[in-house]
Amino acid sequence: MTFAAADAAIDVVIVGSGAAGGMAAYSLTKAGLRCLMLEAGRNYDPQAEVNMFAPESDAPLRGSGTPDKPFGYFDATVDGGWQIEGEPYTMQEGTDFRWWRPRMLGGRTNHWGRHVPRFGAYDFKPFSRDGLGVDWPIGYDDVAPFYDRVERMIGVNGGPIGLENHPDSPAGCLMPPPKPRVPEMLITAAAESLGIPVRAAHTAVLTRDMPDPVAPRSACFNATPCTRGCTIGAMFQTTTSLLPMAKATGKLRVVTDAMVSRVVMGSGTRAAGVEYVDRKTGQRHQVTARAVVLAAGTGETTRLLLNSGKDGRGLANSSGELGRNLTDSTGASFRAYIPGLANRPRYNEDGIGGQHIYIPFWLYEQQKRGELDFARGYHFEINGRFGIPPETALPRVWGPALKQAVRARSGATIGLVLRGEMIPNKDSYCEIDPGVKDRFGIPVLRFAFKWSQHEVNQVAHGRRAAHSVFRRLNGTILDPDLPPERIMTAGGEIIHELGTARMGADKRMSVVDGYGQTWDVDNIILMDGATFASGPHKNPTLTILALALRASERLAARLTSGALA
Amino acid sequence: MTISRRTTLQWFATATTLSLASWTPAFGAVATGAGVPPPFDVVDWPVNVAPLPPTKGYGRDPDLTDPQVPWPLTFTKAQRAAIDLLGDMILPADAASPGAGKLGVGAFIDEWISAPYPRQQDDRTTVIAGLSWLDAQSRALHRTPFAALTTAQRGTLLDALTSDAPAPALARPVAFMDRLRNLFVLGFYSLPEGKADMGFIGDQVIEGAYPGPDDKALAHLTALMKELKLDDKARV
Repeated sequence: MTFAAADAAIDVVIVGSGAAGGMAAYSLTKAGLRCLMLEAGRNYDPQAEVNMFAPESDAPLRGSGTPDKPFGYFDATVDGGWQIEGEPYTMQEGTDFRWWRPRMLGGRTNHWGRHVPRFGAYDFKPFSRDGLGVDWPIGYDDVAPFYDRVERMIGVNGGPIGLENHPDSPAGCLMPPPKPRVPEMLITAAAESLGIPVRAAHTAVLTRDMPDPVAPRSACFNATPCTRGCTIGAMFQTTTSLLPMAKATGKLRVVTDAMVSRVVMGSGTRAAGVEYVDRKTGQRHQVTARAVVLAAGTGETTRLLLNSGKDGRGLANSSGELGRNLTDSTGASFRAYIPGLANRPRYNEDGIGGQHIYIPFWLYEQQKRGELDFARGYHFEINGRFGIPPETALPRVWGPALKQAVRARSGATIGLVLRGEMIPNKDSYCEIDPGVKDRFGIPVLRFAFKWSQHEVNQVAHGRRAAHSVFRRLNGTILDPDLPPERIMTAGGEIIHELGTARMGADKRMSVVDGYGQTWDVDNIILMDGATFASGPHKNPTLTILALALRASERLAARLTSGALA
Repeated sequence: MTISRRTTLQWFATATTLSLASWTPAFGAVATGAGVPPPFDVVDWPVNVAPLPPTKGYGRDPDLTDPQVPWPLTFTKAQRAAIDLLGDMILPADAASPGAGKLGVGAFIDEWISAPYPRQQDDRTTVIAGLSWLDAQSRALHRTPFAALTTAQRGTLLDALTSDAPAPALARPVAFMDRLRNLFVLGFYSLPEGKADMGFIGDQVIEGAYPGPDDKALAHLTALMKELKLDDKARV
């Protein structure tokens, strides 16, 4: 055991460098606090490592995903993924859970979906609305000012939504959205004719330059896949924005390959700091700080709290809720070939990378009247562009007929991708596996996961809705005829795991308060998705950023006022 | 791998760029049941395919700015020649683009079936067994290997392997041809010649706002909306 060189006293140690850790570092250093960031993964410099322009044909296997690079050869995620050598996780019998763990500076923000809808008023008070799960201790009005600031800070494009439980952004928050593509306009017309709304998506991609003395970012130049990473900074990732800005204050030191194993307690009821393992040397180090921010990602944050403390039930777990209430988004994909789009005129359809429009949940009134057989909502993300037609859209032919079919059907398939809310249930949780340790000797997580009938019925409803849009377009549906349970993604697969150290108003039923501060140890602050009291279908990153900013400003106030001596 | 997993990976592939990495769904690949009776006596499917010699993938952290295929190719000369022949039949030369065999897509098929990953190793078994089956079936019918058949004889075989409702005896040969065809489509249309054949326009830096569809594309959309009686809902 060695102690890190005391080159400077540390006010806050921040575990993790993704959305939450990046925001904490940015906010706390701007407030003049000295921060040490510990990142389990390796150092990563998008400018030096991202290959934005190479065609897929330059890569092995035409860039197709493999177990080494699950989202394709050029995907930004390096040195991590669904499995990490020597760092296993385990599952309860009968569970199929996927745990995505990038091991790199910037974490998951280097490759992410960029779809950043705001949660609405209902999303923060789900128990009050339908009696399931729990309410958050905070409401939309508490978070709204932070949404406003985060949208301007990270750069979000989008337009007005004007629908129940889909709050609009005030003027000045959003950059203009890109024009929709032909298949998107066609889907819009078909969906709207069926009473299903379609709106400009809120996307964390710049459509205007964002000048900054330290980390200037450029507007999207309408080319290259965002998931490779973005050297011009158009897509938000902490490695091209918040982290260099925080470093420029001179108040942030970053240590990579630093796998935090536990929180170390001081003599009283406060944390003294953390212990970490150098992933390259295996050597253990301890650092001390006035406060500890955990932003390691839902699973890792929960794991290291469970591995801390003395009594074997984990630190900050007097409620017994630590590890419970694990959720992921539901996922299912629907696709059709639209004969009317065959042989359509070619033009550049790259746009800003992903979808320009999406389908927000639109059935709150029907749900309130009891007309739906599931609680909570879902949305559809939209795809369909020129390119190689999917295999299922090609006829079983060879020779000139096959070449003809590929030309005709390029750009003639459309897809609706469902993302839905999961309600926490007692069968979905994570805990420490009593028998398995990783290569550093740190006990590993064991997952249990189960969808409830709400999620199954929701996916079945989504399929009917998607297919109704396809049929309105005289489409040939390309989906297999299987029960909904068999078309749903596995737990964790959508990489929206949330809830295992939830916030609440009652310390007997929650791990942290509305500012992410643990009820039991007042200088440990959680800032990642672990604190979510529910997991709305709306992609979580914008809310993680907003809550991290809110929690950081509260922490800074406590540290500078002497409330945390 | 579950079906749901495959479906999701398929989506991620389309969501990124050109749908290059699309994943063959297990469902519906080969219709079972009575089907069309095969036009000839079907020889047995080869049972044994030698496993890939031990080799390594590119690892979780390869240099993305300098992509390399680290594993050796493993087709025999005869297998590669048969693949090239099949490539020029499945995607033949025409006014728009060369044949897939001539263009060298056979090298991609070899790279694919020689890769030490589970999906590629499944395909290796299918493709290598399929090539031996083609030779055995050709010998049974015409006493020569596949490569020595006449163009018409080879065409008759490929027709039988692209039946919409194959008889059970042809299920595996048809599944082989499905897989091979999809690999050729991926290998061919991801090359510059294939993208040009599809008329693909993209991968070009456009400063400023995304221009959206041009007049010709919009005119086509307007006509389609009219046909579908959606014309009053044309705008986002």
